Amino acid sequence: MREIAERALSLLPSTVSYADVRVVHRHHELVLAEHAGPGDVAYDESLGLGVRVLIDGQWGFAATPHLDAAGLAAVTRRAVGQARAAGPGRPIELGEPVTTRDRWSSPVEIDPFTVSLSTKLDLLDATVKEVETAGPKIIRVEASMDFFRDEKVFANTEGALIEQTITESGAGLMVLASDGDDIQRRSYPQGVPRTIRGQRGQFAGTGYEHIGTLRLVEEAARVGAEAVALLTAPECPDEVTTLVVTGGQLAMVLHECAGHPMEADRALGAEISQAGGTYATPERRGNFRWGSPILSVFADATAPGGLGSYGYDDEGVRAQRTPLIRDGVFVGYMSGRESAGQLGQQSSGAARADGWQRSPLVRMNNLCLAPGDSSLEEMIATTDRGVFLDMTKGLSIDDQRMNFRFGTEVGWEIRDGKLGRLLKNCSYTGVTPQFWAECDALGGPDEYRIHGIPSCNKGEPAQVAHPGHGTVPARFRNVKVGTK
Amino acid sequence: MSIDETQVRAALEAFGDGASLDIANERIDLLRYARSRITAQHGEERFRVRVRVERGGRVVAGSLETLDRVAVDALAAKLEAALTIVGPGPAGAAVAGHAGPPTSTGPQPAALPAPTTADQRCDWFRTIRAGLADKAALGGSIRNDVIDRVVANSDGLYQAETVNRINVQAIAEQDGRSVSFRTLRADPAEIDVEPIAGQLLDELGDLPMREKASGTFRVLLRPQAALTLIATYGYAALGAAGYAENRTAVAGRMGEQVVSDLITLTDDGADPAGVPSRFDPYGAPRRRTPLLDRGRLVGVVSDAKHAAVTGGVPTGHGVPLGWRFGADPAPSHLLLEPGTATEDDLVTELGEGLIISRLDYLRILHPKDTLVTGTTRDATFWAADGQVVAWHPQVRLTFRLDEALNAVLAVGRDRQCGEQPFIESVVSPALLIDAGPFTL
Repeated sequence: MREIAERALSLLPSTVSYADVRVVHRHHELVLAEHAGPGDVAYDESLGLGVRVLIDGQWGFAATPHLDAAGLAAVTRRAVGQARAAGPGRPIELGEPVTTRDRWSSPVEIDPFTVSLSTKLDLLDATVKEVETAGPKIIRVEASMDFFRDEKVFANTEGALIEQTITESGAGLMVLASDGDDIQRRSYPQGVPRTIRGQRGQFAGTGYEHIGTLRLVEEAARVGAEAVALLTAPECPDEVTTLVVTGGQLAMVLHECAGHPMEADRALGAEISQAGGTYATPERRGNFRWGSPILSVFADATAPGGLGSYGYDDEGVRAQRTPLIRDGVFVGYMSGRESAGQLGQQSSGAARADGWQRSPLVRMNNLCLAPGDSSLEEMIATTDRGVFLDMTKGLSIDDQRMNFRFGTEVGWEIRDGKLGRLLKNCSYTGVTPQFWAECDALGGPDEYRIHGIPSCNKGEPAQVAHPGHGTVPARFRNVKVGTK
Repeated sequence: MSIDETQVRAALEAFGDGASLDIANERIDLLRYARSRITAQHGEERFRVRVRVERGGRVVAGSLETLDRVAVDALAAKLEAALTIVGPGPAGAAVAGHAGPPTSTGPQPAALPAPTTADQRCDWFRTIRAGLADKAALGGSIRNDVIDRVVANSDGLYQAETVNRINVQAIAEQDGRSVSFRTLRADPAEIDVEPIAGQLLDELGDLPMREKASGTFRVLLRPQAALTLIATYGYAALGAAGYAENRTAVAGRMGEQVVSDLITLTDDGADPAGVPSRFDPYGAPRRRTPLLDRGRLVGVVSDAKHAAVTGGVPTGHGVPLGWRFGADPAPSHLLLEPGTATEDDLVTELGEGLIISRLDYLRILHPKDTLVTGTTRDATFWAADGQVVAWHPQVRLTFRLDEALNAVLAVGRDRQCGEQPFIESVVSPALLIDAGPFTL
């Protein structure tokens, strides 16, 4: 792979002011067991090269799976031809040159690709059987594991040469229950807000050792029983009340309200034809009150074992920790080299590409909310009236990332400091700065977890990123909750 | 066609009995622009081979990006080993989308239009930008996908086609307001970029911004908003799996009136008003499938596993292996029959209410109730006395799709074609919806 990258770079004409090449070899393994179905075993492999060139202020990018001499010649010609077709553009500032030569690998104790298929299937089958103990109202159970490995080589015309091996492991459970009229869903340990098959659950940038920490079999019966109980549960009342959420549910809220809006390319208009713009405009840096003073958010690609952790981003910039919100005030962006240059700063090392075939975009790595000093138990105990919600089921947010609605799989009423009845069809709405301004309690460091979700879409053509989200349980006052 | 039939047949032999291949050689060319500047050009060539082997009720799958014999043999060995470990599903459960006996849609009927070139895409961008003449900033993209497809299986099925898709988006921004133009076509000759800038500037206009209205009002969904609604309804309600398993709003209601009698909806992969494709990822021909006839439910779309719901024959709407929107059959080429009203007619009939150009991030909250939530985007206007009188702030709308479609008062004459992530093309006119389903 290293030779291929260097050969591709050598084919570029001298008129190129900057170029980089990425060769990526990706493996993905899915193992899925299901109730009343054959399950799935799938092995996916992808190998190819992407080359990006900058000529006269215009980018060209081309990608190919053909790594022979003819393929490399064709792909470099295509990238150069695209940049030239655009004609001269304005100078693009990339900041300090990237000249690193290094290797990096995810911390892996047990290589998931060496664990036998039967071991994986035994665990998943046992999980499904535990769910089935909830009775005949269970209509669908899917328990799955996914493992990814990217072997990547990055090289550029500034002299960088970086080899990385990134391993990701995850597993989860999805249950549907029905009584003929109603259908309810419960997931564990993390929900995915779409009907994806596989790639569910909690993911980490580690090896198979992560799977054992998830306690799938141990939790399965409870998850199944809750799915059935939801069928007869009352609906979430429509009211303005106090909301307590789990760290897992908060992960997606943070993702949408703070993560995407603070991607620098989005703030510079690059996503206008896709997901849209952002309220976090450059002139608001340092003076926009995003939320209550107890809130600080940062992007951290160095978090050990985080799903969004790496040694270097896909522009060769070293992984780092970047403040985004400090004491409730918006202070910074995640950025790549070009977007950082436009903002007059250095890259935050957040340019990531989905495989070899897509060019790097600014993406979340591990989006982290600094923990507070409360606890879930204390938050509930000190709430007279409210709801406690868990597990994102559906979500929508406007193109400026202000006006949102989150649905959750499950809720409980809170009465006089205690959890009360189970509630179904819960959702809540808010406007980003108003909602976060009402946050008055955060769980402490012992409740802090990085929730890895391998399904963040952005860009055109669409790219799927695998970010982590460091969160704790949290409490918000005066939130509009309900079913509709 | 860039896919070698000899290699395909050799691969089928390597994977053995019960194998099916879904192969795509995709070439994507894309020009993106923001704030009136080109920001990215992207050229991607990708060869994808999805393999599924189904034997004795056991199913395994894989993918690779070559038909090179060494790689094929390596995957075949892995799948063969996996087949000895995985358990069989219940009887009949394994039939996901296999098309069964060989069927063919025959050769592709017409010569394909030539794809766009990098120079042509840049010219289109410059034409639109010049038309805006610094009165508004231009963002958007021009994308051309050329996809050679082959679906083949060990029973002798062999289907091949090439699909050309051209997508143009132009968003003009001025003083915090935005308007958009979007189109999806199979032939670049059908795209005339000259008038786009003029249309965008006309819409930007100089109307005042009013405060957010409160209450329930009539709503005019312009074609790009209506097609999002139609596509989401089709995905949520008109698949055979959900119908059979009582998971959708229309389950058990075949032949009944389920929406307004002004709504006639068909799925047709051959209709040139959309972007045609002739077979699904399992090779089943995409059959023209009437879904709603003057509001009556007359059909759903199916794959082989759920063909019993559609008279024993799949309608050709299986979804790809590992599809991120699930495994159930789903509409692929929806077409809503047009009415006779011009947009001016519809605004007149609207009287007072909201005019929505785009529905954005429309997500299903409760599938069986077709309850969705989403926001408006780009040009959202307010009408009074049958005239467009003001811009309206963007709003969140949480509503039932079936209620909205049941409250249709009029259907527009002019249709537009678009796409959603979960559907290949959808063609829709504007829809005028009565007060009730939408509350601001």
